[in-house]
Amino acid sequence: MKRPIILLVEFLLVIPAALITFRILFLGYPLIPAAPKKTWQLSMEARIKGEENQTTLTVAFPYTDGGQRVVEEKITSGTLAFNLLREGPNQIGVWSGRVGKGEEIIGYQATLLVQPQRSSTFTPPTLEPYPENISKEVQTLAGHLVARWNNLEPKARLHAIAASCRGIWGEPRPDDRDLKAWSAWQERHGRVAALLVLLRAVGLPGRAVEGLLLTEGVTTIALNWIEVWTGKDRESLSPWTGKVYEKSTALLPLATDGLPLVRIVHGELLDIQWSLRRQIISQWRIHFERIRQSSHLLDRWSLFYLPSEFQETFRILLLVPIGALMICILRNLVGFPTFGIFMPVLMALAFRNTGLIYGIGIFACFILIGYVARRSMDKLRLLLVPRLSVLLTLVIVCFTAIALFGSKLGLRELMAVGLLPFVILTMTIERFFVLMEEAGVREGLRTAAGTAAVSAITHQILHWEALQLTFFVYPELLFAVAAAQVLLGRYTGYRLLEFLRFRKIRGSS
Amino acid sequence: MIFKSSEWLKKAGVLGMNRRNAEYIMRCNPRSSFPLVDDKVITKRLAVEFQIPTPSLYHVIEYHKDISGFERVLGEQRDFVVKPARGSGGSGILLITNRTAEGFVKQSGNIISRADLAYHISSILSGIYSLEDLEDRALIEALIYPDQVFAAVTYQGVPDIRIIVYRGVPLMGMVRLPTRASDGKANLHRGAIGAGIDVSKGLTLTAVHGSEVVTHHPDTGNPVNGIQVPHWTKMLLMAARGFDMTGLGYIGVDMVIDKEQGPVLLEMNARPGLAIQLANRIGLWQRLERIDHAPSDIFATPVSRVTWAMETFADSYS
Repeated sequence: MKRPIILLVEFLLVIPAALITFRILFLGYPLIPAAPKKTWQLSMEARIKGEENQTTLTVAFPYTDGGQRVVEEKITSGTLAFNLLREGPNQIGVWSGRVGKGEEIIGYQATLLVQPQRSSTFTPPTLEPYPENISKEVQTLAGHLVARWNNLEPKARLHAIAASCRGIWGEPRPDDRDLKAWSAWQERHGRVAALLVLLRAVGLPGRAVEGLLLTEGVTTIALNWIEVWTGKDRESLSPWTGKVYEKSTALLPLATDGLPLVRIVHGELLDIQWSLRRQIISQWRIHFERIRQSSHLLDRWSLFYLPSEFQETFRILLLVPIGALMICILRNLVGFPTFGIFMPVLMALAFRNTGLIYGIGIFACFILIGYVARRSMDKLRLLLVPRLSVLLTLVIVCFTAIALFGSKLGLRELMAVGLLPFVILTMTIERFFVLMEEAGVREGLRTAAGTAAVSAITHQILHWEALQLTFFVYPELLFAVAAAQVLLGRYTGYRLLEFLRFRKIRGSS
Repeated sequence: MIFKSSEWLKKAGVLGMNRRNAEYIMRCNPRSSFPLVDDKVITKRLAVEFQIPTPSLYHVIEYHKDISGFERVLGEQRDFVVKPARGSGGSGILLITNRTAEGFVKQSGNIISRADLAYHISSILSGIYSLEDLEDRALIEALIYPDQVFAAVTYQGVPDIRIIVYRGVPLMGMVRLPTRASDGKANLHRGAIGAGIDVSKGLTLTAVHGSEVVTHHPDTGNPVNGIQVPHWTKMLLMAARGFDMTGLGYIGVDMVIDKEQGPVLLEMNARPGLAIQLANRIGLWQRLERIDHAPSDIFATPVSRVTWAMETFADSYS
């Protein structure tokens, strides 16, 4: 193969490779855009009653981190003003205003994408000093209690502390006086604070989290747990049962680092509820939401910015070159004939409306009717252009008849006949007739079958949603298709059917 | 299996369609020269310029309004051929042997009415037989009375001889013999048979019929091999000069042998088919390669090219 060709092909392959790698590594695109994802619909609804003064309600919202992504949010704020704040990793919604005498209902809705944890985007927490409100004595006390576990593995340390929640301190038991003093302190400051001090004492970074259990249902109470970093994993410890959650238990953190989940100032929270619903949202939506939130140049130049009715067109258009590639393969690698070069692609596009079976059926029907008509017209000796016009009229008449027939039967597939490429169909009838006359019935039927086969294959490719999505997200893949086309264009080897054709050349027998 | 077949065809030196297109037609045939061979009126003019005999041209019909007047132009000429200037594969060609009151006598003996012939010409003008569906011209030229050398292996029609010429060197030939199935047309696609010709001696070999190798004519039953083609060296020379005429590096030159005139040039083809390999049961590629490796002085004149080809390719027919 010649050097310029190789260079061109390399160039055509490098562009998409570079762009896709960039998107995956730096813009967080998925490796396979069509991988199935679990999505959840979270909705929160709260009823509040106001006082004389301005009422302020703050609620922690889900946030995006390594394990979850918030793709779409919707706020109901009634007459109140709404503000979104960020505090550390947290996302906090603030509703404020004068509620008046009546009640006010506020709401929040989000679509969450829960994905398997990606460690690359998660920065492990570091061990921080004791909070200021923990006195030296308490620190020493905690140190005494956990002294025996300091040499254990991080995971074992966590489990020892978890057991202590249930009152199991293991052997040898710590000093009774220490235990008494500890339970008194715990009584005053709460279990969560006590556990955090113990974890700090054994050198495990931990933080208090308030959130929800990711299961379908409605709940009015949030869940508390402590997230512990054991050096490799994030573990979740329930302070009430003293159990470490299984890895498979999905938790949705909302508020962390001691931030309250809900707080109301100058008002009364009558009730609040969260509901979670597992949802199947289309892949298209997920990408759309993600790309719309990004400000990167590549994302702003995405096809997702087109109005949706044009997006629909491009989903298909981007795959048409693959259909053309199929034709290159069939004609230049296999050696199978088709009517016209791109006729099968146009047919495949039309099959999207009629469906494959009806499409092929209608195609065969037209070729047959057209052939008979063309044959009888031959005796009339019409000139070329008028003759083709008559055939075109015949095709339209058949369209009408089929559509009416379909309407009687209530078959949309038949009514969609009008979207078949009628000009191409007319030319095909003429070509088919000439081929039958000049090259014989066998050649004519072979070409018709070849055309139908490529149309069917192309239709299946255009129909493949995962492929549509892949090309829509990564339109640069078109360059790779072009590379394959260039390579095929320089394929000077034999066609598959030539093995058959030339088998009688000397030396074969 | 595929790999083995491919290796085998390569070893036999068979030229495939992809290689023919990419390596020979696209590389050797400049697009600008295609009209010289695609339009028979231009080819004829060129041939006259280079003093290569062709059937004499009586008339060219270009517009529909001229159709009715063509018989007057013919004068006393009773026999003639109607063909599209840009036709391919012999389609649209009508051989008329005589004129009567009812109409025209075709070579098959059937009569075609004046209206039918006018319709045929008008079809030619509207481009039905033309290569790219373009409007076309109709040629009226002298009818060839073929030499009787192939009479025993011809069913009606006129047998023609195709010689493939690469860089001016004739490398393979075949004679196309009409059959009943081909309706007297010397066109392999329509069922005519093609007999290979030993380039060095001008002797016919076995023939291809469809994709099968045959030794006898399907209609007359006579053996096709061992016929000495008359004027063979002269025909090789005419073909070799086709390159000088057109500048096309890879062509098929089609000729017929007239009873009195000897070989005359019918047309040239810038995209000659591959079936000639089956007629000769020899691959074109191996010969094309040998020409590319030939010493450069053999390309000097048509005579030197023909002499080299006749000597070099003699070894293939042992």
